[in-house]
Amino acid sequence: MTVSDTLLEAFGADAIATPADLIPTIQVPLGSIEAAVARVQKEFGYTRFVDLTAVDLLSREERFELVYLFYSLDSNAWIRLKTRTDQQAPSITPSVPGANWYEREVFDLFGIEFVGHPGLTRIMLPDDWQGYPLRRTEPLGSEPVDFTVTRKVYGTG
Amino acid sequence: MAQAEKSAERGTGELLTVNMGPQHPSTHGVLRLELVLDGEVVVHCRPVIGYLHTGIEKTFEAKSYIQGVVLTDRMDYLNPLGNNLAYALSIEKLIGCEIPERATVLRVLLAELTRVASHLMFVGSMALDLGASSPFLYCWREREHILDFFETISGVRMMTSFIRPGGLVRDVQPEVLSAVSAFLETMPGHIDEYEELLTANPIFRERTEGVGILSADDALALGVTGPTLRGSGVALDLRKANPYCGYEGYDFGVPTGTHGDCYDRYLVRVAEMRESVAICRQALDRMPVGSVRTSDRKVMPPPREELAKSMEAVIHHFKLWTEGICPPAGEAYVGVESPRGELGFYVVSDGSGRPVRVHERAPSFANLQSLPKITEGGAVADVVACIASLDPIMGEVDR
Amino acid sequence: MSTDDRNGAPGYILSRLEDWARESSIWPVTFGLACCAIEMMATSASRFDMARFGSEVFRASPRQSDLMIVAGRVSQKMAPVLREVYDQMPEPKWVIAMGDCASCSGVFNNYALIQGVDKIVPVDVYVPGCPPTPEALLDSLIKLKQRVAANSRNVRHGAQTSVGVGIAHNGTNDAAHTA
Repeated sequence: MTVSDTLLEAFGADAIATPADLIPTIQVPLGSIEAAVARVQKEFGYTRFVDLTAVDLLSREERFELVYLFYSLDSNAWIRLKTRTDQQAPSITPSVPGANWYEREVFDLFGIEFVGHPGLTRIMLPDDWQGYPLRRTEPLGSEPVDFTVTRKVYGTG
Repeated sequence: MAQAEKSAERGTGELLTVNMGPQHPSTHGVLRLELVLDGEVVVHCRPVIGYLHTGIEKTFEAKSYIQGVVLTDRMDYLNPLGNNLAYALSIEKLIGCEIPERATVLRVLLAELTRVASHLMFVGSMALDLGASSPFLYCWREREHILDFFETISGVRMMTSFIRPGGLVRDVQPEVLSAVSAFLETMPGHIDEYEELLTANPIFRERTEGVGILSADDALALGVTGPTLRGSGVALDLRKANPYCGYEGYDFGVPTGTHGDCYDRYLVRVAEMRESVAICRQALDRMPVGSVRTSDRKVMPPPREELAKSMEAVIHHFKLWTEGICPPAGEAYVGVESPRGELGFYVVSDGSGRPVRVHERAPSFANLQSLPKITEGGAVADVVACIASLDPIMGEVDR
Repeated sequence: MSTDDRNGAPGYILSRLEDWARESSIWPVTFGLACCAIEMMATSASRFDMARFGSEVFRASPRQSDLMIVAGRVSQKMAPVLREVYDQMPEPKWVIAMGDCASCSGVFNNYALIQGVDKIVPVDVYVPGCPPTPEALLDSLIKLKQRVAANSRNVRHGAQTSVGVGIAHNGTNDAAHTA
C-alpha cells in the first residue's frame, strides 16, 4: 500500500519507512511520541490501539526501540510508530487505556520506565524478581539437562 | 448498579477483599482476581496475571525459525494451527516467498477447523461454568472428531506444528478430506443440538443476558478484538478487513451482537461456528491439486527421495537443519483473526538464522484488560459468566 | 507414628478393604495449568471417561481430593501456589506429573519455569508427552492405582525420582526432605 500524502506531509519522508509487511512505519524522537500517538489516532483516524512492544537493539546509545501499532477501522490499515530510548518513556495510558498492561509488560521484561503510568508494577514475573529477562544481555536461564553422554561436561547432574 | 445503590443505602460500607484463583475451577486457567466486594457487589476487580509466564518470547531468540514453530503451538493452546499460521505468514512476508495454491486452501481448512474446535470448547466450558454439564460432553464429542482428523493428518492431536513457513509439513490424503467432508455434513445438526440446550434456556439466558455489558467505545479504547468486540456491535473481522490466505474469495458472514453482554458474545461464537463450517465446505470444494510446499529450497527442505540423487538437495537440507531459514534483515507483522481476536507475530530479523525479537500480539491479553470494566458494579456470581464469555487463554496472555 | 508395615491398621482384611477403597476412588483436585489441562478435560469427557476408573469428580478444594495431576507448565510465580495447594491436601495423597513441562519443563528450558515439578513436590508417576494423549494419562492413572492398591497407607512418594533429582517423601505430613 502506498503511504498517504498526508502522512508524508505530517512527519516528513525521511521518518517514514515501509518494511516487508507494507505497514507504514514512522520513526519519531522520544519527546514527541505522545504527540505523534495523539495525531495518528485523532487526525489520521488510526483509532484502535493494537500493540506495544520493545526490541533490544544492543546499541550503545538509545538501546531499546519501542514499537507502537495502531489500526484504522475506516481504511482497514495498520500504522507503526517507533521511538528509541535508553531507560524511560512517556506513558500513553492516560489517553490510550488499552496500553496499560502493555506498558507494564515492557517495564517488567525490559526495564523501561513509563512516566505517568497509573500503576507501573511487574505483571508477568513475581513482584520480587530481580532483573529484566528479555534484554538480550540477560541469559536464557537454561539448565544443563542430565544426559549420560554429557556427564563428562556437566557432571552427574 | 441498583445493587450498589441499595447497599450504600443500607450503609454497610464494609469492603471485603476476596481472592479468586489462580487455582480455581472456573477461571479458565491460572488467572487470579482480587475482588473487592461490598456485600455481593463487585466494587473493584484487579486481575493478576503471570502465573503461566513461560518466557516463550525469549526462547524464540535462542531457536531457529523452524524450531520456533513448535513454541507457537503452545501459546494459544486451543488454536495451535492458527498460531502456526500467523507465525508462518509473518516469516513468509519477511522472506517474500510464494506459497502454492493447495497449501493456502489447506491452511484455510485447518485454521477454520481449529476455530470450530476452539468455539466448541468455549461453548462447553461456558456451559459448565454456569452449571450445565451436558453441553460440555456433547461439544467434546465433536471436538474429538476434529482432533482425530488432526491426528490422522499430522500424527498429533493438538500441538501439530503442521503449518510452517513455506507451506505445510506434508500433504493431506483424499480419504481424510472426504472424512472431513462427511463430518462437516453433520456439524450444523450438532450446533442445533447445542443451541437447543442453551440458547433458549431460561436459566442460561437469565445468567448471561444483561450481564457483563461492554460498550463498543470501551471495547475499542481497551484494544479488545474478536468475538468480544463483535458482541459489542463492531463488525471488525480481519478475514474480511485485511484478507490473508485467499479469504477474500470465500463467502461467509460476520455475526455481530447488539447489547455487548455475555449472551451476545455467546451467540456470536455459535454463529461463527456455522460460518466456519461453511468456509470449510467451500475450501474442500475448491481444493486444487499440487504441492503443499514452496519450491524455495532455502525455506522448505527438498523431498527425501531427492536426497539420494542430488548433492545440492543434501546441502540445502543440511543448511536448513543447522543454520535454519535466514530471512533478510527487517521486520514483519501479519494480523490474523484467531478465535479470540487479532493475533499476530511481530518478527524482527537481522539476516541470521536466529530472530532478534519475536513478539506475539495476543488477543486475550487485550481482551482480559476489559474484565474490570465488565465485572465492576455487578454481582460476584456474575464474574464467572463474564470471564467465560471473554474466552481468555492464559497461555497467550502470559506467554 | 512409625512408618514401617501396617502399624495402626486394624487387621489384614480391613487394611485390604482400605486399600481397595482408596484405589477405586481417587479424586483429583482441579489443577489444570496449560495445554495439558485440555487433554485432562478430554480424559474426563465421554470418549475416554476417567470416571470409570474411579475419578468420578474433580474436586475444586484440595482438602477434598487425593490426587494432584499437575497438568501444565509451572512458572516461578505459580510454584508457591502449587506447593500450598499440595500442602493443603490431606494424607494419603499422590501426584501425577502430567506432560513434559511438569516432568522436566519440556520445550521450555529457561528462566521462567520450574524445571520439573518434582523440584517442589514429590511425584509418583510421570507421564511423557506434549501433551500426553488421554490414553497415556489413563495409563498413568492405572499405574498409580496399582501402587495404591498394594499399600495405600505407606506408599513412598518420590521412589521413582531417586535416580536423579527429586524429593523423597517419608509418608508423613512433615516437611519433605531430600533423599
